[in-house]
Amino acid sequence: MEPLVKTRDLCVRFGAQEVLQGVNATFRSGEISFLIGPSGAGKTTFLRAINRLNEEFPDCVTTGQVGLRLEEGWVNVYDRAVDTATLRRRAAMVFQTPNVLPFSIRKNIALPLRLTQGLAADAIAERVEEALQQAELFDEVKHRMDEPALNLSGGQQQRLCLARALALRPNVLLLDEPTASLDFRATRKIEALLRHLSERYAIIAVSHSLGQTSRLADRCLVFNEGRIREEISGEQLHDAGMLRRLADELF
Amino acid sequence: MRRWSDRGIVAAAWGSSAFLVVLLLAFLSYAFVRAWPALNTALFFGETPPLDALLFRQPVFEGLWPALFGTLVLVLVSTAMAVPVGIGAGIYLVAYAPPRARAVTEWAVDVLAGVPSIVMGLFGLALILFLRRTFMPEANTCLLLAAGCIAMLVLPGLIRTTQNALSGLPDVYRLTGPSLGFTRWQQIRHLMMPGASQGILSGVLLAIGRAAEDTAVILLTGVVARAGLVRGLTDKFEALPFRIYVRASEYRNETELAQGFACAVVLLTLTAVLFLLATWLQRRLEAKWSR
Repeated sequence: MEPLVKTRDLCVRFGAQEVLQGVNATFRSGEISFLIGPSGAGKTTFLRAINRLNEEFPDCVTTGQVGLRLEEGWVNVYDRAVDTATLRRRAAMVFQTPNVLPFSIRKNIALPLRLTQGLAADAIAERVEEALQQAELFDEVKHRMDEPALNLSGGQQQRLCLARALALRPNVLLLDEPTASLDFRATRKIEALLRHLSERYAIIAVSHSLGQTSRLADRCLVFNEGRIREEISGEQLHDAGMLRRLADELF
Repeated sequence: MRRWSDRGIVAAAWGSSAFLVVLLLAFLSYAFVRAWPALNTALFFGETPPLDALLFRQPVFEGLWPALFGTLVLVLVSTAMAVPVGIGAGIYLVAYAPPRARAVTEWAVDVLAGVPSIVMGLFGLALILFLRRTFMPEANTCLLLAAGCIAMLVLPGLIRTTQNALSGLPDVYRLTGPSLGFTRWQQIRHLMMPGASQGILSGVLLAIGRAAEDTAVILLTGVVARAGLVRGLTDKFEALPFRIYVRASEYRNETELAQGFACAVVLLTLTAVLFLLATWLQRRLEAKWSR
């Protein structure tokens, strides 16, 4: 598979605090990459550097390059000409805690489509259903689409957030500890879903769970103090001794 | 076992709110009992047939109808001026203002909040005097001026409640919009405003209440004891709080005093109706936004 996201010498700092110090990495379509490492290692900041969400925080300075391959070719996302709305549609994000909006289930998915892509009502309805199907939520909510999304369980809310991201038809999915706030059963459901989705998208996920990483990852980037220290892939991901060593080192 | 201090606090909290309710009920029933002898159609319309008065076919000389109507128009005009500006400024402070501009604006809002209503009335009067001596010799105190001064009076409260309601929203609102590609304005209009509408409403209610009851401002800017129905924005007008003030300070017999109390009951009722209207409007908007 061809590369879809490339970073070169990516540095991010907030005020005087350097969070990322020259990160070089490549991500491909059809591949799940996990970012692991201790708290404060820069994993979330790295994720947010790809869709430029760090800019929502004061005093953020980003240098280096993040390349994203779109139909029209490679673009540097920090290029002035790049429209953040388009970028964030192509690199869609799911957060640690389900951030459903206090609206109906339908509107949670439909509103971004209406506002940022100006789709017509029937096109939106189609996309809403398609996204809910992909997130394996449709059968559970099809009879109550107009109920408040906040009435859903935690796992369902997170799948709704995933559906909302998928409805944007992204190229890359950025997942920031997508199962951190969920129970065992909901976690397994999301994991199965991610495995399935990874065939169509480049998935970059932050995780604190080595178990999850070993179950799902095609490769794993180990972050520490703002740099990638190690890359693990293939058989090594299932090597118990290797994982134990990592656990001792990282946590 | 719970600590005694815990129980004490709970009891004090219960006691305080019970005290508030009892006080309010006592006040309302007192006003109502004193007003009772005067509560009839003559209170509103004097000798004029009510239907003719309501359809503006005949003038009302004795009743409080012109004052009720005057206050209603005053509240509507002043909130129509103040609410859009107040909410707009609140949004600016939360979402757009650079730190320096925010500090200056907040300082200005605080100063404005500290201006007593009588001084606000004086500003209005001074404006008219200035206009008369310069390019508008025919300028005079009127409903529009009074509404403008009241709008200035309630503006700081509106700005602050809007600002607090928006900035008090949970963090989920902050990154969700941008992560979905919303522009700043879409984020405010479609995510933050629905979330903050209840808080903003409380500011609007306070503004309505203030506009309905304030006497000092209108005293200097165009209210009179007898003007009849207000016919235009540049007219003198009657208003309920001023009528209460006149009745309470100059009554000649028990009937007139009872009329003063009745006037107070009418003012409270009017305010309550406006509150209900504003709440209904907010609920409608919220329901529409969340579907």
